Amino acid sequence: MIWRRLLLTRLAGMVATLAVLSVVIFAGTELLPGDAVSAVAGQHASPAQRAEVRTQLGLDRPAPQRYLEWIGGALHGDLGPSYTGGRPVTDVITERLGNSVLLALAVYLLLIPLSLTLGTIAGLGSASGRRGRRADRVILVATVSMLGVPEFLTGGLLLAVFAVWLGWLPAVSIAPIGGSVLDDPQALLLPVASLLVVSLGAATRLVRAGVANVAGSPYLEAARLAGVRGPKLVLRHVLPAALGPATQVISIGLGTIVGGAVVVETLFDYPGIGNELQSAVAGRDVPLVQGIALTLAAVTLVALLLGDIVARALDPATGGRP
Amino acid sequence: MNAGTTGAAKVIRARWVLYTAAVLAGGVTALALLGPLFAGQPAEQVGGPYQGSSWPHPLGTDGLGRDVLDRVLHGGRVVVGLAVGATALATAGGLVLGVALGSVRHRAGELLMRVVDVLLVLPPILLLLLLATGLPGSDLAVLLAVALVTTPTTTRVVRAATHRVARADYVDVARARGDGWWHILRRDVLPAIARPVLAESGLRFVTAVYLTATAGFLGLGQPAPAANWGRMVAENLDGATLTMSPFLAPAVLLVLFTVSVNLLADGIADLLARGGAA
Repeated sequence: MIWRRLLLTRLAGMVATLAVLSVVIFAGTELLPGDAVSAVAGQHASPAQRAEVRTQLGLDRPAPQRYLEWIGGALHGDLGPSYTGGRPVTDVITERLGNSVLLALAVYLLLIPLSLTLGTIAGLGSASGRRGRRADRVILVATVSMLGVPEFLTGGLLLAVFAVWLGWLPAVSIAPIGGSVLDDPQALLLPVASLLVVSLGAATRLVRAGVANVAGSPYLEAARLAGVRGPKLVLRHVLPAALGPATQVISIGLGTIVGGAVVVETLFDYPGIGNELQSAVAGRDVPLVQGIALTLAAVTLVALLLGDIVARALDPATGGRP
Repeated sequence: MNAGTTGAAKVIRARWVLYTAAVLAGGVTALALLGPLFAGQPAEQVGGPYQGSSWPHPLGTDGLGRDVLDRVLHGGRVVVGLAVGATALATAGGLVLGVALGSVRHRAGELLMRVVDVLLVLPPILLLLLLATGLPGSDLAVLLAVALVTTPTTTRVVRAATHRVARADYVDVARARGDGWWHILRRDVLPAIARPVLAESGLRFVTAVYLTATAGFLGLGQPAPAANWGRMVAENLDGATLTMSPFLAPAVLLVLFTVSVNLLADGIADLLARGGAA
């Protein structure tokens, strides 16, 4: 019962947030002076040509009406035709979204165990002897340093070393026509590594904070005195208590990974939705930008909700009750 | 990027880390701001494409035969300048909003904060791309987008600090004395929240540098041939097989800058927090 009520309020909140965001997305791309007509008609079009393009694109109608039509179509899975080539935006998104989700999943698959391991070593080290504190400090300085370095730099440097200098890995990840990116899994390595480096900093810090909190607690001291030691102490007593903050890793990492994916996919020419968004922005393809932005916002919100539910279910303080 | 800094900050208090970071951050800032004074024309073709290092062109030439050193000297100002401008704008905006939301009744403030928080859900780079679509080819769009992305966090911190101060005894005394709200704000509230606000603006600057550099890489802001470290990385990546320095020089400068600014902001936030507790 409690779970159902929680889910319903969260879902309502999610829909409200998405509604506000859809207005932000629409206003950000349509109301500002950047004119879609010049993008389509070209800069040297005559006034008559411009007027014709304007009517063709339906831009002569008032913005609120256009917004309602756009959002009404979106509810039915129709985001309109894109400017370039007139392909339905929904088709472009469904074609590319899978590849991006694959990339994100691969990052999480490595991010979760790595951040848990590093965060636990650092967190436990912070409360123990000289060597432990030293390990803590090294891990922290390293992760804090990586935290603010833009993905295109880590990615670019990885590319320079492994693809250009050593020549071990492909520099771009173009999927064969009709094939999938999985046909050439090597091409995934560098994009995943670039995204991982940046999100690992934030994630490790979160886990470390959770573990450090438990590490100094009387509760853990009691477990130690009761004779629980080594891996068992970590698995049974430290990690469960630190799992709450650790699940935040999933939510916190999300913004970084979704945003970073735009950059990394562009850098490696990976056939994902972020790469498509970047070229849509460069080509001033407004419907495509709006559709992708709305999709990414919705995906982010759903993932945040899932992360929140998992965090609540795992939190020992509530014993799995919401 | 907007990761929590809970507890982690206090470990990086080794002085030499802070000093090294300060020197590096200061050095790169000086190079970025003063560089154009010592450089030639950044858009002028001076040789063939991707020539290696030589005497008149110590960093070689890029794909259009332009002198890389000249472009490096010109390309930092926009990255550092936009980040400073956006941080100033976001701090000012966050200060006004945060003090206002922290002063009103708790329920109302909480509700308004939720509205501001909606902006935090969108990944920052997405917001950056959206505004760049609305205002194409403009550095102003980058500045506004970065300020917009960083304002909600600052607002939250300022609001929390103001809320604590607004309930303090000395503010009650001032109110009972009949001081006006402006007087209370200037004499009692602002000095009390200065430390957290300063620490916060440092951390936001880190985000701002990250975003302005990324904007350059994605080709947002003032279009080519303007020099921009972020864009130079994108422009010269293809030629990295021929000559590495046109790609490596801006990339290394940006890495040095982001890492040092990050460590410095973290250390300063920690010093301010400890000073505030003492």
